Amino acid sequence: MITAGCDVGSLTSKAVIMRDNRIVAQEVIRSRTKPAESAVAVMNMALQKAQMTLTDIVFCVGTGYGRDKIPFISEAVSEISCHARGARWLLPTVKTVIDIGGQDCKAMRIDKDGKILKFITNDKCASGTGRFLEVMARIINVSLDDLGGLSARATAPIALANACTVWAQADVIQHLNDGISAEDIGAGINNAMASRMAVLANNIGLERDLCMTGGVAKNAGVVSALEKLLGMSIKRIKKVDPQLVGAVGAALIAGDKVERRTAS
Amino acid sequence: MIDAFHESSTTLFNRHVRNWKTDGGKVVGYTCSYVPDEIFHAASILPYRLRGVGAREMNIADAYFGPFICSLPKCLLQLAGEGKYHFLDGAVVTPGCDSMRRLDDCWRKAGEDRAEALPSFFFHYAVPHKTADYSLKWFIEETRRLQAAVEKHFNVTITDYQLYDSIGIYNEGRLLLSRLDALRCAPDVAISGADALAVVLASTTIPRKSFNSLLMDLIAQIEAGSDRISGRKRLMLVGSANDDVELVRLIEGDEAVVVADNLCFGARFYADLVEQDGDPVAALAKRYLYHNDCPRMFGDYKGRLSILKEKIERAAVDGVILQNIRFCDLHGSENGIFERDLEAAGIPCMRIEREYGPLVETGRIRMRIDAFLERLEK
Amino acid sequence: MRKELKEYPFDWMIWRTFVAAARMKAGSEKEYSQAVKQLPYFRGILDTIYGIGEPGQLFIEMVAEYFEKIIFARKRGQKTAITTFCFSPAVFYALDIVPITLELVTVAMGATYKRGTADFLDYCNEVGFTETSCSSQRGTLGAYLAGNGVTIDMVVCDSPGVCDTNVNAFAFASAYLDKPFFQLNMPPDLTGARSTEYHRADYRALIAFLEEQIGRKLDTEKLREILTEVRKQDILMAELEELQILVPNPLPVTFNLLIYAGRFLFAGMPQCTRLLESLLKIGRENARQNQSGLSSGKERLRGFFCYIDHYGQDLRLWHLLDQMEISYHGNILSKMWSQDAYYAKALDRLEDAYNIDTTDLDTLIDSIADLNSRMPMIKSIRGPYDAPHMWLQDTLALAKLHRADFIVYNGTPGCRNTWGMVKPFARDTEKNGFPTLILYSDAFDMRVESWETTASRIEEFLKVRRLRP
Repeated sequence: MITAGCDVGSLTSKAVIMRDNRIVAQEVIRSRTKPAESAVAVMNMALQKAQMTLTDIVFCVGTGYGRDKIPFISEAVSEISCHARGARWLLPTVKTVIDIGGQDCKAMRIDKDGKILKFITNDKCASGTGRFLEVMARIINVSLDDLGGLSARATAPIALANACTVWAQADVIQHLNDGISAEDIGAGINNAMASRMAVLANNIGLERDLCMTGGVAKNAGVVSALEKLLGMSIKRIKKVDPQLVGAVGAALIAGDKVERRTAS
Repeated sequence: MIDAFHESSTTLFNRHVRNWKTDGGKVVGYTCSYVPDEIFHAASILPYRLRGVGAREMNIADAYFGPFICSLPKCLLQLAGEGKYHFLDGAVVTPGCDSMRRLDDCWRKAGEDRAEALPSFFFHYAVPHKTADYSLKWFIEETRRLQAAVEKHFNVTITDYQLYDSIGIYNEGRLLLSRLDALRCAPDVAISGADALAVVLASTTIPRKSFNSLLMDLIAQIEAGSDRISGRKRLMLVGSANDDVELVRLIEGDEAVVVADNLCFGARFYADLVEQDGDPVAALAKRYLYHNDCPRMFGDYKGRLSILKEKIERAAVDGVILQNIRFCDLHGSENGIFERDLEAAGIPCMRIEREYGPLVETGRIRMRIDAFLERLEK
Repeated sequence: MRKELKEYPFDWMIWRTFVAAARMKAGSEKEYSQAVKQLPYFRGILDTIYGIGEPGQLFIEMVAEYFEKIIFARKRGQKTAITTFCFSPAVFYALDIVPITLELVTVAMGATYKRGTADFLDYCNEVGFTETSCSSQRGTLGAYLAGNGVTIDMVVCDSPGVCDTNVNAFAFASAYLDKPFFQLNMPPDLTGARSTEYHRADYRALIAFLEEQIGRKLDTEKLREILTEVRKQDILMAELEELQILVPNPLPVTFNLLIYAGRFLFAGMPQCTRLLESLLKIGRENARQNQSGLSSGKERLRGFFCYIDHYGQDLRLWHLLDQMEISYHGNILSKMWSQDAYYAKALDRLEDAYNIDTTDLDTLIDSIADLNSRMPMIKSIRGPYDAPHMWLQDTLALAKLHRADFIVYNGTPGCRNTWGMVKPFARDTEKNGFPTLILYSDAFDMRVESWETTASRIEEFLKVRRLRP
């Protein structure tokens, strides 16, 4: 059975195609202005890679902010459920998932089937999101990929506003003007992000094992700061890019839905 | 039929208010469910609950309010500054919460800069934060002070007889709203949460006698009809003031129905009757101070929790949405403990912090609602 | 919250830190300089406070004693009450209840912990208390919610009608910890028969509540003793604050902090009286010599803080003012509005002030009720800011009396009641000739805005307004 998941986020769009619960193709692209265009583009790339056409897919679940705008999906499911399902499949011992996406972050506690027991998401503002890191990295003139590595080289990380991106920007500029090193500022940024995330995660009551999904899971500075704050190690997802977990979950849920339909 | 309620709930200067003004009637706006409508009704003035619907910008409000303030009073000031409340002859502000309390200061200051923004009658109605014999005494005196100010400004006399009459009419409205509530929380839901909210909102602007008669017709129509909502998740909406029908519609979507609430534009507004014997002002003060369960009445968490639990059971609620407007710490924090205690009692909850008015982010809220409904599916 | 924070009770750690600090000056200067190295995050404050001599020593000892009372309350058979800075602790001392004033503990923790109160601030959010709430209570509240301090017996506050976010912290604590709660509720008017009657009836209900909690009646003699001491303190404070009017102001910048902290810690207790007497000795001597209290001896500007101070680590606000040769002219926190206060007399505002009448139990209770209703913030932020007896009137009168060159508003983003009107307020102070700076920082949480940014905003303001080159 061939299923697919398509996750259209604010920063990136992802597609995963699975055959009998095995990943056969995956793609990530930068999101375009219209969710439908992003979805079609990323899915076409994945299909091409899998040497399939859309008609080969039995069931496709859409997720992410643009999920309702995706033209080719069979059903839309929230990214919270998709990340939970994907994470549990990738790491079967996981009970808590932290996902940091482009414009939001979420923490969820899940059962053995990857179903949600409790979840929380950040509120309106951009702090504690991938966007926060992106803005801050730009100010200190490092790439987003390099930001995570700065923490390991920092000697005296700055304390930074973790409540407001705008406030934090002013502080970062002030620290730059004061001649503080990029390492110490970068570490401060990563710590602020982790601290924001720790509050959310603690809010739902953590249970081992814990893993992180979303692009920020690749930022070593944030991950290690978060581990310290939570007093718990964070399991790494190695089978796929952590950004793809939502799309993987969507493809798995697609399979669940087909099975349920067949059974009934 | 329900369209008439929706029209009144989304348009500030709606048909009923327009007609009232055309007939030479006076309108006094107020900010909080602790203000007794009956005082104005008895003076033949239309009491009108102020709202911020339709605000598109914040430029006027931001000139007076600081940045860390709830967006509801900001929207309200914005509309007043834009002249959208031109039909008001008066306004009453209460210390419902600090953000709303400061509307008094900011609105008066805006009135200094824009004369048309401020109505000629402007009253600060000091509602205590506790229920004790001396705070009730204070509130009775405060209500008499409001009555005297209305009499003086509008050159009217409010007799006890008129107050009794008004209390009777408003009690009738409360009973009708409670009947509607029963239809809403019945096993086969007879009215959606969005429609029910529209009715409550309409009740805050339509002259009460007309409203009662409209509502009586609506109830009759619903009872006679067979349209029922079933197979959806039954939700309860709790927390900060919400006068946005679209928010409820967003929450309900295709899979849920809001069967109960504990909101001040909702059940809190019409729960409990005013006693109809004895001193009418004292009876009003008693009902409004004692039977209006907002976290502004500090220290009564347990009372409010038991109200929620009773409603959750009565309406067979599947899940509770605890929402607060950003910077509404009273509801926001109480929601935190509600969540702890309700979840412990096996009732799934979800907390949402949101903005009011033009800042509402529908996409993000929708995503959370979807995930919450997926959680309830188990 | 990080696990390691739960290893030791936080209040016990603060107590031990202050006990150690109080002994630092027992030896030689060399020993002090060696020992102080062991307190890296506290050093700046100790240097500054000890730098003022005897009152500094008394102050550190007082803080140590305050925490000692908290730690051993239960062992001594006393009950504890969490309460707020704007609630006079005198009644607790009269009833032998140990007050734990959240804001004071927050400042003490901010001064001694490297990360300030950050972890406990965040812990509050983890258990459902909003992050937009005021950081002054939230810092300490988090520790008590986490069970990381002594056991709380009751929750008492007086901010309903004045400050929602303040009272909300106490209401939350009561609900979360399931502890008895009492609120004094302030009407929007300060004066007049209705308000006075309300204040007094409410206060009598408070006493009944406290008596019920401890199972004992209020001892009239004890209350008389405490209020007599309060009166003594009022007279001392009046003289100290009157000295501030002089040009140059003979009080060092930190004195104001010590005056109000002393009063918040030990109103009506001899510890506070001793501190005030000691401060006064220095103030009088400087005044006699027409000497500025600033380190450089030169007073370039006179600053009035209309709300609260900035409690960033190492007393950096006071350092900045001292370094810029700006004398400090008080804030809302030190103005208790006793009828002995020089400003109540000078401004002919005795109606705003309380009087202590020790004749009998009734007059004593009326007096303490009136006193409590005049506490900082409780007095002037309850009604519309521009109403009689309220914030604008007080600020303008005091700023004029002190010949202030500028006004600074500093608070917390959680302060809904002032952020709701500080813009028109500042517009009015500007109209009255006072350049006014609104700071957007958080007095208790450096993560909102770093002190460096706050300091640069103050410097920029003074420069742009041509108050300083």
